[in-house]
Amino acid sequence: MLPTITVNDEKCKEPTSCRKCLLICPTHVFGLGTDVGPQKFREIDPSHFIVRAVRLDKCSGCMDCVNICPQNAIQVSFNGGDAR
Amino acid sequence: MCDWCEKYGDGYERWYFNPANYARRLYKIRREEAEASGAEANPQAAGGMAFVGSDFLEARERGDTAEVERMKQQLEGAMWLTHFGQVITLEEALKITDIMYPISLITCACRRSMEGLPDEENFTCMGMGAGMYKWERWPDTYRGGVHFLTPDEAKEVLSKLNKRGLVHSIYTFGTPYLAGLCNCDYPDCAAIRTVIDLGIKVLWKGHYVAKIDPELCNGCASCVHRCQFRALSFIPSKNKAYIDQFQCFGCGLCATECDQEAITLVERASLPALANVW
Ligand code: SF4
Ligand code: SF4
Ligand code: SF4
Ligand code: SF4
Repeated sequence: MLPTITVNDEKCKEPTSCRKCLLICPTHVFGLGTDVGPQKFREIDPSHFIVRAVRLDKCSGCMDCVNICPQNAIQVSFNGGDAR
Repeated sequence: MCDWCEKYGDGYERWYFNPANYARRLYKIRREEAEASGAEANPQAAGGMAFVGSDFLEARERGDTAEVERMKQQLEGAMWLTHFGQVITLEEALKITDIMYPISLITCACRRSMEGLPDEENFTCMGMGAGMYKWERWPDTYRGGVHFLTPDEAKEVLSKLNKRGLVHSIYTFGTPYLAGLCNCDYPDCAAIRTVIDLGIKVLWKGHYVAKIDPELCNGCASCVHRCQFRALSFIPSKNKAYIDQFQCFGCGLCATECDQEAITLVERASLPALANVW
C-alpha cells in the first residue's frame, strides 16, 4: 500500500543540518533536493533545500519520521485516511 | 553480446576500454543535451535522486502491468541515451585509470541526497574528463571540492573503496561519453536502488558472473555481506555460501573477500542462458 507523505517546507527550514528523518527511516524513503535546481557559480543557500519522500513503495508506516521531526513537518497517511 | 560493446566497443574487449568513449569531442554533445533537458532533468532539483515519480509507483500498485512496462521502457530509453551505468570489477576499474585522464575524487550526489551526508564523509565518487576542469562552475554538484588524482592515487583509492565493500560502476554523461566512476552501495545509490527495487535498468549488469566452488568454500561466510545485489546468500544446512547467478551483477566484491579463492568470475558471454541477461 502506498502512503501519502507530505513535508511542510515552511516548518522544515534547514534540513541539511537536521536530517533526522533521512537517518531514522528504516527503509530510507526520504531524499534531499533543492527548490532551485543547479546554480552556476553559486552555492545554494541551505534554506533552498527540501525534504521529499521519494521511495514511497518502501514506507512501512512505522511513523518514526513523524515522531522524530522536531518541527512537526512530516505527515504520513495510508488509504487517504487521517494524516498523523 | 553486451549492446554497448557492440555499439561502442570498436574492436576493444569492452566498450569502456575504448579510449574514444572518453574523448573530449564527446563532452560537447553532453553539454547540449544537458541544457536541452533543463533543470527538471536534474535529480537535485527534482529532489531525492528518484528516477521515477509516484505515477510509476501507483501504476505498479494497481497492477497495471502495461502502463508499468510502458513507463519503464520510456525511462530506460531516455536514460540509455543520456546517463546510465554498468557494473565493472576492481580490475577493470584499475585498468580505466590508465586510459582516462584526469580522474578526480568527488562527493557522492546520491548519498548527499539520501542521507544528507557531510562532504568530508562522502568522498567516494570519481569524475573523469574535461568536465572536471570546470567543476567550480557548479559548486553544489561538486560540494566539498575536487581532488585531482594521479593514476596511482586513483588505483589506491579504488582499492580502498573496494575493501570497504563498494561496487564499482562506469557511467555515461551523454552516451557513449564515459565520465563517472562510481563506488556505490544499496540502498542509497539511486541506480542500484532503482534497478533492484523497481527493475528499471539504469544500471547494467557487468561482464562477469560469480561462481562458488563448493569444494573450496569452508563456510566462513565472510563474503555474504559483500553483495549489494541480493545475489549472495548462505545455506546453513550445507554450511556453504550460495550465489544466484541470474541475480548476480558480476561486481566481484564477494570474490575479492574470499581467502579460500572459492569464488571465481566467469565470463557472462560463456554462459548461454546468461549471455543476454543484463
Ligand atoms: S513512516 Fe516509517 S517507513 Fe514510512 S517514511 Fe516514515 S520512517 Fe520511513
Ligand atoms: S526531521 Fe523534520 S525538520 Fe528535520 S529534516 Fe526532516 S522534515 Fe526537516
Ligand atoms: S568467503 Fe569464500 S570460503 Fe567463506 S563462505 Fe564465502 S565462498 Fe565460502
Ligand atoms: S554475487 Fe558476488 S559478484 Fe555477484 S553481485 Fe553479489 S557480490 Fe557481486
